[in-house]
Amino acid sequence: MAFTLELDGVTKAFDEFVAVDKLSFNIPEGEIFGLLGPNGAGKTSTIRMMIGITVPDSGAVRVFGQPLSRLLLDRVGYLPEERGLYKKMKIMENLVFLAQLKGIAVPEATRRAHEWLERLDLALWGNSKVEELSKGMQQKVQFIAAVIHEPDFMILDEPFSGLDPAGSLVLKDVLLDLKKQGKTILFSTHRMDTVERLCDSICLVNQGRSVLLGVLREIKASYGRSSVQLEYEGELPLLTDPTLVASSNDFGNYVELRLAPGADPQELLEVAMRTARIRKFELVEPSLEEIFLDTVQSTKAVIHA
Amino acid sequence: MRKVLLIIRREYLVRVRTKAFIIFTVLMPLLIGAGFILPSKLMLQSAGTKRIVIVAADSALANSIKTELAASHASDDDDAPLPERKKPIRPEFNVSVDTAPSEALRQQLTTEVREGKLDGFAWIETDAVSTRKALYYSRNASDFIEAQLVSRAFRFALSERELAGHGFSAAESKTLLGPVAVDTVRIDKQGANKSNGIGAFLLPYFLLIAIYVTVLIYGVYVMRSVIEEKSSRVIEVLLGSVTPMQLMAGKIIGVGAVGLTQIGIWAAAGTILGTGGLAMARQVLGDSLKDAHISMAAMVLFPVFFLLGYATYACLYAAIGAMCNSDEEAQQLQFPVTLPLILCMICAMAIIRDPNTPLAFWLSMFPLTSPIIMYVRISVSSPPVWQIAASIAISLASLYGLVWLTSRIYRVGILMYGKRPTLPEILKWVRYA
Repeated sequence: MAFTLELDGVTKAFDEFVAVDKLSFNIPEGEIFGLLGPNGAGKTSTIRMMIGITVPDSGAVRVFGQPLSRLLLDRVGYLPEERGLYKKMKIMENLVFLAQLKGIAVPEATRRAHEWLERLDLALWGNSKVEELSKGMQQKVQFIAAVIHEPDFMILDEPFSGLDPAGSLVLKDVLLDLKKQGKTILFSTHRMDTVERLCDSICLVNQGRSVLLGVLREIKASYGRSSVQLEYEGELPLLTDPTLVASSNDFGNYVELRLAPGADPQELLEVAMRTARIRKFELVEPSLEEIFLDTVQSTKAVIHA
Repeated sequence: MRKVLLIIRREYLVRVRTKAFIIFTVLMPLLIGAGFILPSKLMLQSAGTKRIVIVAADSALANSIKTELAASHASDDDDAPLPERKKPIRPEFNVSVDTAPSEALRQQLTTEVREGKLDGFAWIETDAVSTRKALYYSRNASDFIEAQLVSRAFRFALSERELAGHGFSAAESKTLLGPVAVDTVRIDKQGANKSNGIGAFLLPYFLLIAIYVTVLIYGVYVMRSVIEEKSSRVIEVLLGSVTPMQLMAGKIIGVGAVGLTQIGIWAAAGTILGTGGLAMARQVLGDSLKDAHISMAAMVLFPVFFLLGYATYACLYAAIGAMCNSDEEAQQLQFPVTLPLILCMICAMAIIRDPNTPLAFWLSMFPLTSPIIMYVRISVSSPPVWQIAASIAISLASLYGLVWLTSRIYRVGILMYGKRPTLPEILKWVRYA
C-alpha cells in the first residue's frame, strides 16, 4: 500500500519539555485520518514537523514516499488551527497570493478562487477585506486557501470550528468529495462526532505519545458491545456501583455508560428500573468520545502513578 | 527566488496603496520646508520699525548716531560670522534726537517706553566720547539685536568723529569703517564651489533629516509587518509555503523598495519644484542661500547610504518584531535599537560644522551610525575616498553578520507566542537554529 505520510519515531523537545515522543504512524493514500488528542497533547507540534516549519530532533518524516522537502510542500495544503489571513487585504487578493506561493499562476488562481467562493456561498464577498467577515466566513476562506492549489494531501487543524450547522454540512460534503477524488486528508481535532463519521483511521495522542492507533472500525469493534445508552426519568444510584458500571457520562435524563468487566446488562436494567422510569435502553459499541475519555484518563492514571 | 519575488511584490503593493504612504510622501517635504521657512518668517515679523530716541547734549554725535542707525537697515556689513549674518532681521529705525538731557526727560521717556509709545531710548552722557559708554533703555532687554545696532551706531559715530579729527574726509572714513567680505569656498573633487555659510549648513541638515527619517520609518515598517503576520497568524500559513529566510528577505526588500520609491518621488519633485522652492527660500533668507547646492556625490550616494542604513536597521527591527506579540510590547524593545540613530542626530550638528574630527571619523565607521554620519560628512565636505569605501565595506560586512544573526532569531521568534523571551533565551534561539 502506498502511504501519503509516514512518521517514523519522530521526537521533538523544547528545552526539557518533550512535545512529541517517538511518534510513528502512516497514512495510506486516499484515507481520511484523524489525529486526536486533548489540548497540549502535541498535535500542532506534530503537524508543524509534517510541513517543515520545524525539524524533528530525531526520527523521519516522509511525504509521498520521499523524505520531506520544500518541493513536495507544493502538493500539501495546510489549514492551521489559528486562522491566519491578511486582515487588510481583500479575500481575492489573499487567496490569489497564497495560491501563487504554491506555484499557481494568477489567472488560474483567480478562476479557482471564484469557483470555491461560489461553492461555499461567499461569491459576493470576494472584494471585501478579511476583517469585514464573520468568524465562520473567515474560516471558509481559510479552508479555500488550504485547497486552492489542489493538493494531494491536506492537513486540516480543527476545520469545523466556528462554522454553523449549514456551513459544517457544506464542508463535510466538500471533504467527502475530495476523498472521492483520491486525496488524502489529515484531520486534527478533539470534536469526536465529526471524526467518527468521517475518519477511516485514527491516532490518539496524549502527552506526545501515541496511545491508540488503528482503523476506527476495528478499534470500536474491539471494545465490543459493552456500552449502554439509557434514557431515564428519576435517579440512578447504580452509576456509582463499581460491580456494574466501569465509567459513565451522565446528562441528567440520558446517560452513556461502560459496563464493568463481567457485568450483565440484563441485571443493570433490572437495578435501574427499581429507581427510575426507563424510556430507552440500548446496548451499543462505545462512542469515540467514550474511548477517547477512557484512554486519556487511563494513560493519565498510568503517568501519575 | 520566485517566492521571494511574490513576497516582495505583496509587501510593496500593500504599502504603496495605503493613504499613509501618499500622505507621508506629500507631507514630509512640506514639513521640512516649513521647518526652514517658518522660523525666518517669524524673525522677519518681529523686526518691523522701531521708534527710539537718542538723548545726548552733543547734537553732532547724536545726529551722527541717528544717521548710522537709519543706514544700518540697508547696509550689508558687520564683523559677525557669515552664518549669523541674516540681514532682514534688522529693524528699521525711526529715530528722534533730544539734546537737552534732564532727569524729568529721563522719567518721561521711561514712562513712554513702559507704555509702549516708544521702543527704547539711548542715554549718552557728555563724557561719552572719552568713556565710550552709554545706556540703552528698552522694554525688552532680550531684544539684543536692537541694543547691538545702537551700540554699533554709537561706535561708528565715535570712530567717524575721531577720523575726522585726523583729517579724513567723510567718504574716506566710510570706506575705512566699511565691511570686508570673506566668502567660504568649498574645495571638492569637482573643483571649487563657492558656497555661502547658511546654505551649506541647511542643505546637509535637510539631507540628514531625510535619511534619518526614512531609515527609521521604514525600519519600523518592517517590524510592524512582522508583528502583523505574527499576531494575525498568517505566518503559520506562509511557512507552509516559504522558508523563514525567504519571508524575511522578501519583507525587507519589499519595504525597502517602498522607501526607494518614496525617495525617488521626493527627488523628482525636488528637482522640479526645487528651483521655485529655492527662490522662495532665498527671498526669505536673503542672499545666504544663493550658492546652496547639493553636490553630485551627495545626490548619487543618498540611495546607497539609505539602503545600507535601512537594511541594517530593518534586520534589527525584524528581529524585535519576531520577539514580540504586539506593537505595544515592541515599543519598549525598540528603544535600544533606535538609540544609535538618535545619537547620530545629536552628533550630526557638530559634524556638519566640523566634519573631520576623530569623533566624526569613528562614527562614520561604526556600522550602526556609519550610514548616516558618513553621508552627512559627504554632504558637507569631501572625505577621502578610502574612508567612504571603508565605511561601505564595514557596513556590508556587518550587514552579512546581522542577517545571519537576526534570521536565526526571526526563525524561532515568529513561532513563539506568549511571554516575551529573555536574553538567555534569545541566545539559545541563535544557537538552536
